[in-house]
Amino acid sequence: MNNSLIPGNYLFISAFVIQFLAIVPLTILKNEKKAFVISNFILLIGLVLGLISTLSSKLFSFASFSSNDTLLFSNWIRLDGLGLYFLFIIQLVAIPTVIYNFSYLQHYIDQKRSIKSFVTFYIILLISTQFVVMANQAILFLVSWEVMSMSAYLGMLLEKEKEEVQKGSFYYFVASHLLVFILYIFFFLLHHQTNSWLLSDYHLTAATISLIPILFILSFVGFGIKAGFMPFHFWLPQAHPIAPTVLSAFLSGVIIKTGIYGILRTFQFLKPIPEWCGWLILVVSIFSAIFGVWYALAQHDIKRLLAYHSIENIGIIGIGIGIGFIGSANNLPVIEVLGFGGALLHTLNHAIFKSLLFLGSGVIYQNLGTRNIELMGGLVHRAKYLAILFLIGSIAISGIPPFNGFISEFIIYTGFFQTAKELKNYYPLLMLLFVVGLAFVGGLAVACFTKINSIMFLGTERKEVKHFHISVFDYISLGILALLCIVIGFYPQPFIGIVNKVISNGFVAANSPSALLNMNWLSITIIFSSILFGVIVLYFAKMQIHKRYGRRTSAAWSCGYENQSPRMQYTASSFADELNTIPKTILLYNKKVDSSKRVIPKPSSFESHSSDFVDNKIVLPGYSLLGKIISKIEFLSRTDIRYYIAFILVMIIIYSFIAFLWI
Amino acid sequence: MGNVLSILFCLSLFYVSITSRVKGYVTVLQIQGVLLSLIIVIPFIYPFSIYGIILPATLLLVKVFLIPRYINKIILDLDIRRVIDPTIQQFSFLLLVIATMVVIFVVSNILSQSTELNVIPFASGFSAIVIGIYIIMFRRKLIVHVAGFLILENGIFLFGTAVASELPMMIELGTLLDVFVVVFLMGIAINKISTTLDGFDVTALGRLKD
Repeated sequence: MNNSLIPGNYLFISAFVIQFLAIVPLTILKNEKKAFVISNFILLIGLVLGLISTLSSKLFSFASFSSNDTLLFSNWIRLDGLGLYFLFIIQLVAIPTVIYNFSYLQHYIDQKRSIKSFVTFYIILLISTQFVVMANQAILFLVSWEVMSMSAYLGMLLEKEKEEVQKGSFYYFVASHLLVFILYIFFFLLHHQTNSWLLSDYHLTAATISLIPILFILSFVGFGIKAGFMPFHFWLPQAHPIAPTVLSAFLSGVIIKTGIYGILRTFQFLKPIPEWCGWLILVVSIFSAIFGVWYALAQHDIKRLLAYHSIENIGIIGIGIGIGFIGSANNLPVIEVLGFGGALLHTLNHAIFKSLLFLGSGVIYQNLGTRNIELMGGLVHRAKYLAILFLIGSIAISGIPPFNGFISEFIIYTGFFQTAKELKNYYPLLMLLFVVGLAFVGGLAVACFTKINSIMFLGTERKEVKHFHISVFDYISLGILALLCIVIGFYPQPFIGIVNKVISNGFVAANSPSALLNMNWLSITIIFSSILFGVIVLYFAKMQIHKRYGRRTSAAWSCGYENQSPRMQYTASSFADELNTIPKTILLYNKKVDSSKRVIPKPSSFESHSSDFVDNKIVLPGYSLLGKIISKIEFLSRTDIRYYIAFILVMIIIYSFIAFLWI
Repeated sequence: MGNVLSILFCLSLFYVSITSRVKGYVTVLQIQGVLLSLIIVIPFIYPFSIYGIILPATLLLVKVFLIPRYINKIILDLDIRRVIDPTIQQFSFLLLVIATMVVIFVVSNILSQSTELNVIPFASGFSAIVIGIYIIMFRRKLIVHVAGFLILENGIFLFGTAVASELPMMIELGTLLDVFVVVFLMGIAINKISTTLDGFDVTALGRLKD
């Protein structure tokens, strides 16, 4: 047994033991608040220890990898590059959300709602997610996966008396079970081919190469449902808005990334990968990215909007993976490194800024009691720092320099150009199409976040807010995430180094030239710093001008009007209307304008609504069709137990007959 | 010796398929309990071992004394009519049973040529399983269903002894416990149902459907 991880080994195990121990106070202590605070604190310690041990492992301590780092004296758990990287993401995002828990769940305690079970499920969710990425045994993987899905489902039911919660969580429940079923087939096929349950043994030989298309499709559909690629995304905008904020932040930031983890893991099994797999991922991803952000633009519910942005970002990650697949199929490590590097770094980045945005929206939801953007406004006067933190997240997610979203998208763009350069023929033209597509996505994302930032934070208040309270825990957790956005944006070198190490451990040959490290990262740091410096200089210049010439103030969006009321402000739907009308068949975008042109005008109104195409045109009709087919065999349903016994007997006879023929 | 006892077991199945009194079922259950205990005690008699006796003794206690007494108690307590309510004629039922047994014995004989098994205990056990299901299918009374279920369990037991010469102790004890719990639960269920529904037909249970 290779115990090359010994110094970190004890730390690793103790971190998990402490995380498990966090459940104990919840079962012992009667007092709801005391139990929750203690258990959350223990959980936090466990997570911090886990992060320290992950950071001290080989991935981050700048040593070379050996491929079989095992834990707990068995090879059921393996810490290789990919697993450690995702473990790092999970723990990094979990720590701020757990800190945020302190203030967020306090609201529920004030409402006299029991949160013990929620906290228990949350702890189980965190632990099982970490086990998913560490598991090296198919059954252990599937069990952790199932525990992860189900604990998230049970956590979602915190406000179970609401109808929307029941509906949304049901979507999640069905989607999770569908994909687990597909994964069962996937792993049993792999087991059948290799006669092993260990993930590290799954290397297909030449004899089984014909199975690659089937395995790839199974994996892409199965893990794709979890990740939320476009045709399989239908559960995501239903489930994310209704979950408690801490859970939806974790769901959107981390859990959908386990789907990405699965696809990347599959890539390691299925070498050599045919090139069409890469193209398939690329096309599906670009569609997810474009329509994800377009749907987001049409939403009024802040959490639903962010959920659609998750689909967009999963699409961007998928684009990187697609480029990596194409590079692998053409045996060009340069492209492979850029594609997978961009995807992996964007996974980390998205986990950070999406949690930041979700937690920020949670603060607003707690204070305003609504998730509807149209009812918000002028919040910058209530919470200046929250607005700044939210703005940082918004800039990062739109891929604008100087924050982290830009870095990973930059790598993916470089991947496109590199592909066009290395593979001549028709590739440059196709790559140009994808570049335009990705740029278009960026543009729409900017439009969308301009919309929510301006409507939510600027202008005047549309709804009376009595007091706007933000606790210190909120600021700490949001601050950590915003700081990470800034650090990765301004100084990406260490993170690039980590990603490069992950890729050289299991993706490409370790000695192949690294296109990632060869990029000129120092100039990015310098350019970003000078942008920042310029902004600061301009700000001080503005201050000086104000001081010298005075400052004229008036209400926001007033546009020259004198007595402006909140109703006269620009609304979110009117902002996005122009853009949403273009693809209105796919967005199912409809407007209801009710304006009368009579002499004495009646009150006029405007409404816009968009519903999900896949959900409304494919999933729900398919579901009712299934119901119709099943109702056809309802004649078998009897009231009397004796009929069922007879059915059992008939089945026994059929089985025996088959077995008899078999012998 | 085991073959002779198995054939006696089969004869008891014929009796149970022709009798029309609930009491007959209880008697058959007792007889089957004795037969089963004898079948599993035989290998342990000559090189006598006390451990070999424990299981047959438990079996005897449960199957011959406890369960029949409990069923009798239910019959007395609830004042159930003493005849079963068949849904087909007794004679056609007997024909069905005989036909089934013929098929099973022939099939077992063919099977025994390719695999190693004791044909007669195997076929008797299998017949008891199927006939237990028949009894549940073609009788209307709930208490008879309990008896049918117990016959099915006896069949599984005999089947097990035929397939493996020595079943692990834990499995056998598990079977016993299983039976005991089932009878217990059904007794409780019948008690409850009789107070609420005022009848013992399974047809009345249909009204409980969701």
